[in-house]
Amino acid sequence: MSGRWQWFHRLGSPKWFYEKTTRWLPWLVGAMALFLTVGVAWALLFLPPDYQQGHTSRILVVHVAVAGTSLSFFPLMAAAGTVTLVWRIKLADMVAKHAAPLGAWFTFLTLASGSIWGSVMWGTWWEWTDSRLVSMLFQLFLLLGVISLRTAIENAETAARACALLSIVGCINVVIIKYSVDWWNTLHQPSSPISMEVGNPNGPEFWVATLVMIVAVYLFLAVSLILATRNEILERENNAQWVRELVAQAR
Amino acid sequence: MNRTGNSAMNRANAGAAFRATLKRDLLISVKRRNDILNPFMFFIIVVSLFPIGISPESAMLRQIAAGVIWIAVLLASMLSMDSLYRSDYEDGSLEQLLLSSQPLYLLVFAKNIAHWLVSGLPVILVSPLLAYMLALPAEGYLTLVLSLLLGTPVVGMIGAIAVALTVGLGSRGLILAVITVPMSVPVLIFGTLAVQNSLAGGSPLGYLALLGAMLAAAASLAPVATAAALRISLN
Repeated sequence: MSGRWQWFHRLGSPKWFYEKTTRWLPWLVGAMALFLTVGVAWALLFLPPDYQQGHTSRILVVHVAVAGTSLSFFPLMAAAGTVTLVWRIKLADMVAKHAAPLGAWFTFLTLASGSIWGSVMWGTWWEWTDSRLVSMLFQLFLLLGVISLRTAIENAETAARACALLSIVGCINVVIIKYSVDWWNTLHQPSSPISMEVGNPNGPEFWVATLVMIVAVYLFLAVSLILATRNEILERENNAQWVRELVAQAR
Repeated sequence: MNRTGNSAMNRANAGAAFRATLKRDLLISVKRRNDILNPFMFFIIVVSLFPIGISPESAMLRQIAAGVIWIAVLLASMLSMDSLYRSDYEDGSLEQLLLSSQPLYLLVFAKNIAHWLVSGLPVILVSPLLAYMLALPAEGYLTLVLSLLLGTPVVGMIGAIAVALTVGLGSRGLILAVITVPMSVPVLIFGTLAVQNSLAGGSPLGYLALLGAMLAAAASLAPVATAAALRISLN
């Protein structure tokens, strides 16, 4: 094996991953707590009320961060799926397995925080003419499809490979759905309230707070995914020597 | 035999295998008429529910006609897809396909075409009649049929991936719909937009071209994914 690929296969070893993340986790959790505190405090306490939206704009700081993060789940799962199908590295599937429900939650949170914001700003909890609400809804359906496929297939390896394939197909489709829904709407409503959310002409105090929040949410995603993967490793490798030693130590 | 001769023979065999699979599936469908008739009847029944559930006024109906027919077609194809690989899985012929030396995606493609010919085409042929019952204005007929001709094979080929992923499972439940419906949304959007555009006096060609592009993409990519899914499901 050439040296260039060694790190790749070492990263694929559950034991290596477990030991490394034991060392990384305190740092990640610390950084997450820091960014989360700064972001939330900034958004709730210090951010000046928007000239049009008033205090409602504070919701956007959370909403934009969660929405941006939830878009990264399908690429993540497709990448992990490719690794599963090509190199058959078990760790990739352990990550993908827990990314799907986490992604569904993030997508749900995006929809929920978006509609809370919309209930104030647009006067409605749901708006079919907003293309992003609609494409997020279909992303949620696709993620639920991946989850239900995983639970329906009993054989773990078959489930891993089937979900990997579905994630890759789904990743391509999420993009197609996104663009066609965009097109569908812009044709019907050239000017909709969408522009207020995306190209918000707010000053840097708004988008820096959002940026801090985005980093915080990504760190939260990383921490939750690592914790879930570590559990999965312990569960699947419960016959391995090092896991037994670890459990014996803990007792 | 030298190498070029070998590959030429393989190509000829692949063509023969394609034709044989197509013929076999069509023959089986003709002999098992219920599999064709059920989705067809389902389509007509679903369409006839809309005037009763929403409004019998033709002014209202003509606005929703294209969407109603497209949605009913999607639901009917969901129903017909359920039986796509089932009998082949049960009698073991699916495994024979996998063991065949011919490229699997080609055989999958043949099965897709056969399935569309017996389940998609009849529904499309009867759609003008139902469009008339839903008071669709005359300008919309040709576009509706063309959009269905281009769009339904895409839905069928995407659905085949989902069917292949779940082929060995006892209870499939909602998986098929949860996977296929979101992926069919672009087809639904452009299919109905094409009809609405020609009703408004515009040219539907742009949308039909997009549907054609989707068909080209699906025809070249989906059978490969379906073949991979079959190999995963049957190990």
